[in-house]
Amino acid sequence: MADAKTIIAARAGLELKDGQIINLGIGLPTLIANFVPEGVDVVIQTENGAIGVGPAPEPGCEDRDRANAGSQPITLVPGGSYFDSATSFAMIRGGHTDATFLGTLQVDEKGNIANWIVPGKMLAGMGGAMDLVTGAKTVCIVSEHCARDGSSKLMKQCTFPLTGAEECDVIITERALFRRYPDKGFVLEEVAVGYSLDDIAACTDMAYAVADDVKLDAFGAE
Amino acid sequence: MPKNKVVPIEEAMSHVKSGMSIAVGGFIGQGDPLTLIDHLKTMDIKDLTIYENDAGFRERGNVELVKQNKIKKIVASHVGTTPEIGKAMNEGRLEVEATPQGTLAEMMRCGGAGLGGFLTPTGIGTVAEEGKQIIELEGRKYILVPALKCDIAIIRAHSGDTWGNLIYRGTSRNFNVPAAMCAEYVIAEVENLYTLGELDPNAIHTSGIFVDAVVRANVEYCTIKEEKYNG
Repeated sequence: MADAKTIIAARAGLELKDGQIINLGIGLPTLIANFVPEGVDVVIQTENGAIGVGPAPEPGCEDRDRANAGSQPITLVPGGSYFDSATSFAMIRGGHTDATFLGTLQVDEKGNIANWIVPGKMLAGMGGAMDLVTGAKTVCIVSEHCARDGSSKLMKQCTFPLTGAEECDVIITERALFRRYPDKGFVLEEVAVGYSLDDIAACTDMAYAVADDVKLDAFGAE
Repeated sequence: MPKNKVVPIEEAMSHVKSGMSIAVGGFIGQGDPLTLIDHLKTMDIKDLTIYENDAGFRERGNVELVKQNKIKKIVASHVGTTPEIGKAMNEGRLEVEATPQGTLAEMMRCGGAGLGGFLTPTGIGTVAEEGKQIIELEGRKYILVPALKCDIAIIRAHSGDTWGNLIYRGTSRNFNVPAAMCAEYVIAEVENLYTLGELDPNAIHTSGIFVDAVVRANVEYCTIKEEKYNG
């Protein structure tokens, strides 16, 4: 059985559509680049100023002037390019980016996202996350279902300061996939291998509907 | 002929005084003007307000000036790569204002473009809108963000000519472009210095019109030395 992060990234990869421009957050979301389905071509933008991000360079071939927003060395695919930060956020805020995949601390039933600060903990900052959730056409939260203390990250209402209000469109965890619709709110569409509808209900605090054609054992198999 | 702006680092940096605001280029170590920051470390100045994406990487960059208590306030999008910042905040030695990355870049660009400010949807419904004016336009809410004008900007480019036309390399372009636009006095450190006419006019990222002083980057901070880089 693969670990939770791999299961999430693999399922998130299936959300990608041919020709999309996407931005992947730091950490788990970066793994999604390893799960782009065959026949699907996506272009990866990184907010520090590059589009057409390719595979990581071979060891020894790293270049100090070529990195992603998480300071990891990158390569560019043919057709890729570099730009400044104001231009980068025109791409993001201006609606030119099709989808962003981000981790989270909390997400709630209204689609609110809280992923930049834990009150009382050391301040890091929101980086580009507020712009990304506001500007990307589709916002996909990819996160473990529960926090380390076992509490649900999928909450009735976020308690941490928000990154974006009502911006989340899809939630993918190692246990389930929820999609948000304007009229119905979040709908449980897929349940991962090893979980039942009751299991999901037990670990999910936010309200959601269950799709008529909900898929059980939908993903997560080895 | 465009004026030769190449000056000794001491002369360029003598414009920096206590209490000034400084826009700084770079992004977590890529394109950070480390030569100029090293010089600031040797100067008897304090109470600086710094506008930059972050405070540096691996304890290099403006975080070093925080350790020296030269900085009063940092306005940045992310300071998580430099633990010293959190420590200085907790000890009351430093004020930090978190600003969305795209908002910070646009504040700088607008300041240089003669605009009073701009309307952004980023941060609506979050703490980023607190204390800000909200304007509704065609059914969508926006935060009114005033443009940023700084006293000084310090930036780094890969190649520059004597008038201050600049070319950056890879993802080191980042905040160097908007930072170069928003300050009264702009100091660029360049890894490779060229005479007028040597750089391809089609490849210039920052026009020399924005730049006041050009200094040579410390060779230790140069990336690709032998490559003449035209875009």
